[in-house]
Amino acid sequence: MIIFDNISISRRDKPVLKGLSFSIDAGERSAILGGSGEGKTTILKLVMGLIRPDSGSIIIDGENITSMKEAQLREVRMKFSIVFQEGALFDSLTVGENVAFPLREYSGKSEKEIEQKVRELLRIVGMEDAIDLMPEELSGGMNRRAAIARSLAACQPKMFLYDEPTSALDPANAGAILRLITELSHDGRGFILVSHEVQHALRVADRFLLLKGGVLLFDGDKNAFLESPVADVHAFAYAAM
Amino acid sequence: MNMIHRISELQDFYVLSWRSLSGLMRGPFYLSDTIEQMDYTGAGSLPIILIVSVFVGMALSLQLETQLAFMGLENYTGRVVAMAVIREIGPVVVALVYAGRAGSGMSSELGSMVLGHQVDTLRVFGVDPVKKLVIPRMLSSVAMLPALTIIGDTASLLGGYYIAVYVSHLSGSTYWLSVRNVLSFGYVFPGIIKPFVFGYLIACISCHMGLATRGGALGLRSSTTRAFVVSTMTIIVFDFLITKVVIYLIGY
Repeated sequence: MIIFDNISISRRDKPVLKGLSFSIDAGERSAILGGSGEGKTTILKLVMGLIRPDSGSIIIDGENITSMKEAQLREVRMKFSIVFQEGALFDSLTVGENVAFPLREYSGKSEKEIEQKVRELLRIVGMEDAIDLMPEELSGGMNRRAAIARSLAACQPKMFLYDEPTSALDPANAGAILRLITELSHDGRGFILVSHEVQHALRVADRFLLLKGGVLLFDGDKNAFLESPVADVHAFAYAAM
Repeated sequence: MNMIHRISELQDFYVLSWRSLSGLMRGPFYLSDTIEQMDYTGAGSLPIILIVSVFVGMALSLQLETQLAFMGLENYTGRVVAMAVIREIGPVVVALVYAGRAGSGMSSELGSMVLGHQVDTLRVFGVDPVKKLVIPRMLSSVAMLPALTIIGDTASLLGGYYIAVYVSHLSGSTYWLSVRNVLSFGYVFPGIIKPFVFGYLIACISCHMGLATRGGALGLRSSTTRAFVVSTMTIIVFDFLITKVVIYLIGY
């Protein structure tokens, strides 16, 4: 479904990704791992067409999105549900209004239908009681769960994209987020989880891609990842254990 | 920052300015966001503009009355204060205060939204950030800055009146009659035009700087500072240009 073909991108004249190539199917549960500044979030933004590569092609469902205009990208983005780091909830809106935001923008639903949908989505993420809270009143974990509910309101995604969903969370909240990620993928919808926390990725993902220096250092399943003879891969896999 | 980046940034600014104008023709229109911005930039800036304007009027009146008295022309204090305030100082001072308060606020708010991926989230949801974020700020600035300028000018004239009457011991009716002499279309016209232009420029510059924010807290500090500095310089330059054009067209 997603094909990265020789993708390179620089930021402020510093190369972030150097000729990256890989493909991921919609149903796969993948984790893109790497240290800070290795270009993990950049990959998610490239998939969503939020930034354009300097060279190479990104093919999604057979369509090259690198040359698409903003209006055409809308359809591509509807295939994914993305949750940015720290949630990216709108500060001036309550949790309920945040979840209702994409529904109000273009669903054409009545206010009553929107409210029902919002409550249903908040129930899925276990946050029905927080509907009237402001983002500043939420804990880190609640913030991510509300963001997941909002991303589900936007579309019926084929795949989920999570950007550091458990960073800076205590073990209980991180565990709740990981359970939610697993539950949402039960019906065959895969995900790409971007993280530097190997232990969390190992709990939910089946395939692991490790980035270092803008290139793909490793691409394989859990066993191959944990037993890799490559020193850098081994060091990363066991760094936090 | 090298020359290519500067040219690229200037190009981005022109594109944003154009899109904020052309976006007025096509929906969706975010009325509630525009009203919220009007409240923040207009009503929120009013107290500080009132205070600044009153003291500007008082200082002008004090200065001018002293100088005019040397020539026996102190009865013209109101006229000179009014002309200086309405045509020149009022629009510029109010615009500078507005850029400092509302412009910096716009820049830091949008910059924070960029860093927090909220702008990316809008794009993911198919919402054009220019329409949702920039146009309401541009419209509110173009609507509120002229209103604030009129209020600021009035406050300056009242400040000038206070000094003329209670410090310089001029007659109040002489002051207001003198003021009235410059309240013709030709004299007031530059003071009417300038706030509309300044409002548009402040909003476009501040929004551009905010949306171009990169690099965490340091980047946010830099973009907010640049928004104010560039707005200030642009206001001063455009004040001269508008004055020049008006004098060329009207003759005074």
